[in-house]
Amino acid sequence: MYNTDMPTRAELPTTRQLVRSTIIAGCSAVAILVGIVLPSEYGVDPTGIGEVLNLTEMGEIKVQLALEAEADAARDAVAATPVPLSSTPATPSNAAPSTAAPLAPPAPPAPPAPPSPERQSGLLPLLGTMVVSNAAAQEMRQDEVTFTLEPGEGVEIKMVMEEGAVASYAWVVSEGGQVNYDTHGDGGGQSISYEKGRGVASDEGQLTAAFTGNHGWFWRNRGDASVAVTLRTNGAYSSIVR
Amino acid sequence: MAASASPVQAHGVTAGDQGYIQEISGVNLIPFVYLGAKHMVTGYDHILFLLGVIFFLYRVKHIGIYVSLFALGHSTTMLLGVYFNVGINSFIIDAIIGLSVVYKALDNLGAYQRWLGFQPNTKAATLIFGFFHGFGLSTKILEYDIAPDGLLPNLLAFNVGVEIGQLLALGAILIVMGFWRRSRSFMRHAYTANVAMMAAGFVLIGYQLTGFVVL
Repeated sequence: MYNTDMPTRAELPTTRQLVRSTIIAGCSAVAILVGIVLPSEYGVDPTGIGEVLNLTEMGEIKVQLALEAEADAARDAVAATPVPLSSTPATPSNAAPSTAAPLAPPAPPAPPAPPSPERQSGLLPLLGTMVVSNAAAQEMRQDEVTFTLEPGEGVEIKMVMEEGAVASYAWVVSEGGQVNYDTHGDGGGQSISYEKGRGVASDEGQLTAAFTGNHGWFWRNRGDASVAVTLRTNGAYSSIVR
Repeated sequence: MAASASPVQAHGVTAGDQGYIQEISGVNLIPFVYLGAKHMVTGYDHILFLLGVIFFLYRVKHIGIYVSLFALGHSTTMLLGVYFNVGINSFIIDAIIGLSVVYKALDNLGAYQRWLGFQPNTKAATLIFGFFHGFGLSTKILEYDIAPDGLLPNLLAFNVGVEIGQLLALGAILIVMGFWRRSRSFMRHAYTANVAMMAAGFVLIGYQLTGFVVL
């Protein structure tokens, strides 16, 4: 090794210095672990330092997201079938107790979810789309749903839609409130996220189903107070499910 | 750094640091300092390069100069990359970071003097590879999808965290190196250690390039 200056013995730290450094490093590590890492990663905050530094919230959110991701995976494994809103007791997606207001019953009795057609390939998609849009055009619905979200609570509401079907929507949060949202869809092994937003008080627009499946919203209240969200939908979907 | 997996779940739930960042908005200084420090301390590619840089530095003054050059490099490109939204494919940039480890290991082995007959400027190399490490950081942050609300303060906090994490990692490395350098076998093992570091760099390159092709 050419580019190395050989240090003299005196330039090296003494064993005494090194041992002292090691002890300092060990103590710092314990302090960092207990005061910062555990609150930030797991929401475990025995000293209260994490709370002061605003890190405990991060850990709590991470734990919540991890549990929800686990629940999602379990639910996907069970291959959940959609259940009509009108007959389902409100069950929020996370473990928090539900305080959702009763949902307005849909105008017509909710028809059972149509079986998802197999994904077409080759020449069929064009024909398939035409058939689907015809079918969708016959099924127009209108719903209004109001639900309450406690701080940290999330809820998912989706419309059962055919590929290419269009539904208009508008939702609004009770005064002063804001929510995070993810407009997305899944079905037949596919999933898509149309739009995400943070700290939004209302939104409206049209949702065009990218494929046959469930398309809708996941809202979460990251504020400090509970909020009510009202959703109005209108368009070509066969049922709206929670 | 492996590219973060961010599957679009049925629920729209992304777990971990990324999920947390996507849930919050506004200025969150301390959490971003933490995330920056965590990224550095758990980023074995940055740490390997840092190890290579200080492997043969003994004086605190020298360590300070090189670490500052590296910090200057990666801070610059990290901030510019995020500000101008320059995302480079994370596999490519991480492969280049792997290359930086190989470069530094060869440098430590004296390969350039033997092969080229001169010593490329080690300070310039540290700065230049710092730039690449910074692009790795900015690419990572863009993947995190931070809210535009409070972006700049959060970004600066993240950068502060990166420096804190670098100093923490450096402290740990220096203590271990301190014990090691005192042993009589250090110079014998130093050669092997740099060869091992080079091998790790090659593994990183191969890992990232394969990911680029496969994913």
